[in-house]
Amino acid sequence: MAIFFASLLWPAMSLAQQGQGQASEEKPPVAPVGRAYAITNATIVQGPGRKIEKGTVVMKDGLITAVGAGVVIPPEAIVIKADSMFVYAGFIDGLSRTGVTKPKEEKEREREKVKDPGNPPAERAGITPQNDVRNVLNPNDKSVEELRNLGFTVSQVVPYGNFLPGSAAIVLLGGKSADDMVLVNNSALYSELSGAQNVYPNTVMAVMAKWRELYRNASLTKSYQSVYAANRNALPRPENDRILESFYPVIDQRIPVLFKSEKVMETQRVFTLKNDLGFSLLIADVKEGWPIIPKIKSSGAKVFLSLELPDEIKKDEKKSDKKNVSLPAGQAGKDSVKTEPPKKEKPKTSFDLEKEALEKKKKDAIASYTSQASEFTKAGVTYGFSAMSAKTKDIQANLRRMIKAGLSEDAALAGLTTSPAQLLGLSDRMGTIDNGKMANLVISYKPYFDEKSKVRYVFVDGALYKMETKEAKKDEKVSAKGNWNYSTDTPQGTATGKLVIKEEKGSYSGTITNSFTGKEVEIKNVELDGNKLSFTFPYDDSGNALTIEVAVEIDGNTFAGTMTAGPNGSFPVKATKDPKF
Amino acid sequence: MLIKNGTVLTVTKGTLTETDVLVKDGKIAQIGKNIAAPQGVRVIDATGFFVMPGIIDAHSHIALDAINEATSPVTAEVNEGDVVNPLQIGIYRALGGGVTAVHAMHGSANAIGGQCETLKLRYGTLDNDALKMEGAPRTIKFALGENPTRVHGGGNNIVPRTRMGVEFVIRQAFSQAKKYSEDWDTYNKNKLAKGFRGAPPTYNLRLETLAEILKGNIIVHCHSYRADEIFMLLKVCKDFGIKRIVFQHVNEGFKVAPELAAYGAMASVFSDWWAYKFEVYYSTAYNAAILMKNGVTTSINSDDAEMMRHLYHEAGKTQKYGQLSDDEALSLITINPAKQLGIDSRTGSLETGKDADITIFKNHPLSIYGVPQFTIVDGIVRFDRANDPADMRLMPDPKQNMDDVYFRDKGRDNCMDGTEFLFGSSAEAGAKAGDSLSDKK
Amino acid sequence: MKKIQLLTGLFTVLMCVLVFHIEAQNPKGKFGAFALTNATIETITKGTITNGTVLISNGKITAVGTGITIPQGTEVIDCKGLTVYPGMIDSGTNLGLSEVGSDPRTTDFNELGEVVPQMKALTAINPNAVAIPVTRVSGVTTALSSPSGGLFPGTAALINLHGYTPEQMFAGFEGVVLNFPNSGRRGFFDRRTDEELKKATETALKNLNEVWERAVQYHKIDSATQGKNAGYYPEMQALLPVVKGEGTLLIEVNAAKDITAALKWVKEKKVAKVVLTGVAEGWRVVDQIAKSKIPVITGSILELPTREYDRYDQAYANAGVLKKAGIKVAIRSEEKSNQNYRNLPYHAGFAVAYGMDKDEALKAITIVPAEIFGVADKFGSIEIGKSATLFVCDGDPFETKTQIKQVFIDGWQIPMQSRQTLLYDEFLKREPGLSKK
Repeated sequence: MAIFFASLLWPAMSLAQQGQGQASEEKPPVAPVGRAYAITNATIVQGPGRKIEKGTVVMKDGLITAVGAGVVIPPEAIVIKADSMFVYAGFIDGLSRTGVTKPKEEKEREREKVKDPGNPPAERAGITPQNDVRNVLNPNDKSVEELRNLGFTVSQVVPYGNFLPGSAAIVLLGGKSADDMVLVNNSALYSELSGAQNVYPNTVMAVMAKWRELYRNASLTKSYQSVYAANRNALPRPENDRILESFYPVIDQRIPVLFKSEKVMETQRVFTLKNDLGFSLLIADVKEGWPIIPKIKSSGAKVFLSLELPDEIKKDEKKSDKKNVSLPAGQAGKDSVKTEPPKKEKPKTSFDLEKEALEKKKKDAIASYTSQASEFTKAGVTYGFSAMSAKTKDIQANLRRMIKAGLSEDAALAGLTTSPAQLLGLSDRMGTIDNGKMANLVISYKPYFDEKSKVRYVFVDGALYKMETKEAKKDEKVSAKGNWNYSTDTPQGTATGKLVIKEEKGSYSGTITNSFTGKEVEIKNVELDGNKLSFTFPYDDSGNALTIEVAVEIDGNTFAGTMTAGPNGSFPVKATKDPKF
Repeated sequence: MLIKNGTVLTVTKGTLTETDVLVKDGKIAQIGKNIAAPQGVRVIDATGFFVMPGIIDAHSHIALDAINEATSPVTAEVNEGDVVNPLQIGIYRALGGGVTAVHAMHGSANAIGGQCETLKLRYGTLDNDALKMEGAPRTIKFALGENPTRVHGGGNNIVPRTRMGVEFVIRQAFSQAKKYSEDWDTYNKNKLAKGFRGAPPTYNLRLETLAEILKGNIIVHCHSYRADEIFMLLKVCKDFGIKRIVFQHVNEGFKVAPELAAYGAMASVFSDWWAYKFEVYYSTAYNAAILMKNGVTTSINSDDAEMMRHLYHEAGKTQKYGQLSDDEALSLITINPAKQLGIDSRTGSLETGKDADITIFKNHPLSIYGVPQFTIVDGIVRFDRANDPADMRLMPDPKQNMDDVYFRDKGRDNCMDGTEFLFGSSAEAGAKAGDSLSDKK
Repeated sequence: MKKIQLLTGLFTVLMCVLVFHIEAQNPKGKFGAFALTNATIETITKGTITNGTVLISNGKITAVGTGITIPQGTEVIDCKGLTVYPGMIDSGTNLGLSEVGSDPRTTDFNELGEVVPQMKALTAINPNAVAIPVTRVSGVTTALSSPSGGLFPGTAALINLHGYTPEQMFAGFEGVVLNFPNSGRRGFFDRRTDEELKKATETALKNLNEVWERAVQYHKIDSATQGKNAGYYPEMQALLPVVKGEGTLLIEVNAAKDITAALKWVKEKKVAKVVLTGVAEGWRVVDQIAKSKIPVITGSILELPTREYDRYDQAYANAGVLKKAGIKVAIRSEEKSNQNYRNLPYHAGFAVAYGMDKDEALKAITIVPAEIFGVADKFGSIEIGKSATLFVCDGDPFETKTQIKQVFIDGWQIPMQSRQTLLYDEFLKREPGLSKK
């Protein structure tokens, strides 16, 4: 009976979910936490190296209550049939700004010029360690959903800013409010070795000098505070300084300092500070850690490697020899494949050799980045991953690249679950699928590291989030690029023309002709949002300069929409793509 | 290793023909004729070659990720040692020119700039500390004249805007440091007393560093050009008891050579740069010779990643302008800069016990046809012309395009690197930091 | 008695004249007849003569060789142990157009506007620039002073470093400068994206082609109306000689990609007289340049490699590589920021140290630039009939130890003095020294 009702409810929920997924981000998640769920008949990867075929996971009130092959499903549980799906513990991200509201972009010129750049206000200098990230946390920020859709359930997040923007917090990627999200507040003091624009400290060396000075002063004021507290009589009262106070828990070794340190020199400079001042250290979003693994090991710092990797080299599309049909197109990084040069090739000039050597060096460099994680595993360093600078659309692909470069799937999973849990002190309640742990799960169609894998469900603190398969279609690249032949009906008649759209590294540009003016002009402000394309272009007819706005929806090789010519009104426009471009 | 049968230019102890140099554990173990090669040791045949001490550039900005903290006229607390970058290709290019040690300096945007770092060019490592020369004395950069007045007075409307202001800023900084020092001495003394309860003074790294200068623990290297400002700083040094002072560039040093010699101040100059700013308009290429002949310990520096590679040629110019002897000319790029950096007990000449910093030349280094063949730093061959691979980058950027071409503004004022943001928005071409050719934009 | 008075009077006058002469601020050059005897003569074009004599008279070289009879009234300068060379020609300067580099009020080489070929260097040059004597006492007697800046920054002029008016200094060549669109980065701090760079280059090339189109149009109109009714178009007028094929176009281009594009452009537009200047990456495209038979003025030699992965000595070796491929190569100093054109022989010397043939290097700063500028009938070698523009030194002019003893420009004996030597004289032993007395 209950099952009947439950199964009725489920489509209703999923419809609601659908509505929520595609509409604005303001509506809170629908499924309340208190619900019980059972995921049945799936491959359950409890942790690295621990698999249960055709198992069931039961959760209630946000906690996992049973895991196994033949567990009893409570009657009130909503059953999710997860046949041939894979269940993992929810992933943990060591550093990002997921859910943190991005401050408005301040233009250089609009910013008030500081009278004395050598002594700027602390805000301008980037010295605001007392800032609580909770103040800028928003569970409905688009970034939360994006990262969660990849299977991440927990993130350590920090405020925007350089140098000392504030404290970090470990949060759940879901919830009704900022407070709802927080798992551990003030988990670390966050810092970056980057200076402020145009004011002190501007260069990295000034940032480091300032760090030492702040820390030293914090130690002095802290010890004086205890002296004062012991007997306040006849002593000047201690100065209250919120900035210095933020360092006290670090000085007490109660919380570590969390540094974003991507590059090899940057990371070493962080170590210099650590050695000078003695705080305990977390380094995150490390991209170039592999050359200094011994130094990292001996420093005792906790490590989170970056999920971003440099782009692979795109092979030239032109293949000069028809004989090479067997070569897979555009697959760089496959070391075993060699391009066979056509037989009629000239002897190699020194420049050809130079080019080859450069390409090889670049390829090797990229390979070093890709194999970083496996190097760390080989060296026996425990590490997690951080999503700070990675684009969410690349994360799964990058993990696959790392695995191809030598990282075992178990090690990859550890880096996403058990290791970060350990490093962040959360092992008692997450990181694996075990009784009593928090109900943070990710369920995917096909093993997560498979090329065609897609995340279907994510549980955060027992709340269900379902990924729409339709969304997958939405992700499919709608191609705006190409030559379009358009026509638009205006009061003056039908205008036609050619619209050429070019794309380079995600940004669009192009030109448009118009049968009325006969001129070809550049289009501006080109934006592609899903299948919605918009742009503007200048139109000058008999001395009246206008900006025409175009907004259309692309459907395969056609698009339709409107062209707005300022005060003259809007006209329908449609176009078909030129098949050959 | 054993360097056999070369003409050894010791610089301090004469020239020895057909002589061997034995290197062991990074030091010069022996100099003499017919030294037997120990087992398994590399032998470099220097027959027909010239063996001289590795060249030392007393004014450089290579191997650094930041040059100017130009936001304040006094920034003594920043330390170039924090931003050493051993990956820069400029280091290798300098090795190709026979340079073994450099003084990596803060720029000249500030009246009192940051601390500098003396580096040995141990190219090939990623370790940020590996290039620092252990035990080298601390040094700091000061700057007088047009650069600080343009950056602060001109760019930000902050004192100094004139040479008067520069003097004031320096005196003020020292006076404040003195008071700071006294306050801390008092506190440190009192806190030992029984039952002492009191607040310590604020810790200010800037004043700490300035106090160290006053105590004589940091050598001042002052970028300066005009005779009057050189005088000014000599007087300030005298008033505050600062003895260790080296003037950098000091194009008009020749006008005050007797005073410099009498004070014991040293000079590190260009061979023949002039005319790029007004303060160098009244220069003469005979500067180094005049200073040497008047008893001032003089060195020739480059302040330029390109010129650094032929300092031996720049030293040779003092034979054209002033007819210095071979040893005098060579001392300008070896033992004299070593003295100015306080490392002359370790390097700067070929003497037993010193670091094995050696350059081997085909043809005499002071000849235009001199070409460095080997550059050895601490006994390790870091440059070998015959086996010079094409691409010496240590860690190529995976995002960089392969055919990125870079052109320099030749002769630009490298000391002002990093201050562009102060002048970028100004419409006046004249406000452009140090760019003499404004055809950049 | 009267005789004594007369004599005393004459004597006084003589003394006054002498005193005046000594007290004169700058010594003047001396014109007349000179014989440089017992010298080694590097003619450049006709080999080396030992124990020879060079006769100078009326501005020209009237005799070169051994066993020369010295005419009456000739001032004899014994050059035993010394060598005579033709004056060096530096094709990369802005001499006279810049006094203090960072002060725009004293610099005149960079005029506003992308297309301003009509801006003439010749008449803007300050004949009394301090750098002029400083340069010529080191044996560099002739210089090409060029405007710089936008696409067509102006017309460069070849000048001799002696004289008080443009006419007196003009050495017979003017050429239009073209800064070919540059696809490289202007130094480490150029943070433009690849997109921006590419766009900038494309726009510049488009611009160039438009300008050339207009210039060709102008030429048509001008020929059709026999120069009478073409209207006032100063830019086009300045480009006219180049379009006609009579004037030389000096194309400044350095990146390999750009050199290829420039050669293509020259061929397309059929520009008759072209010189490529700069050519820093010429070694990457030697065959193309050699095939085009276009002469090259390259420099600075003392420069950094253009690419991070280049061999460290690539810039030093460039000139030698170009020469070995059969290209006509001149060397320039391009020491503009420091006005150190006196270092031209050292640029040539470095080219030799890193692979260039010594004789070729010497030619590259004498006869080759003279030929490129079409003034080889007057300058560039020691031959009878040529201008007496030469210097005498005590050794290899590429070596820093060598002292320049004599300099002649157009037959004028130049005083071996500049502000820098005067400062040396004054301050070597300063009086008063340390104490006031």
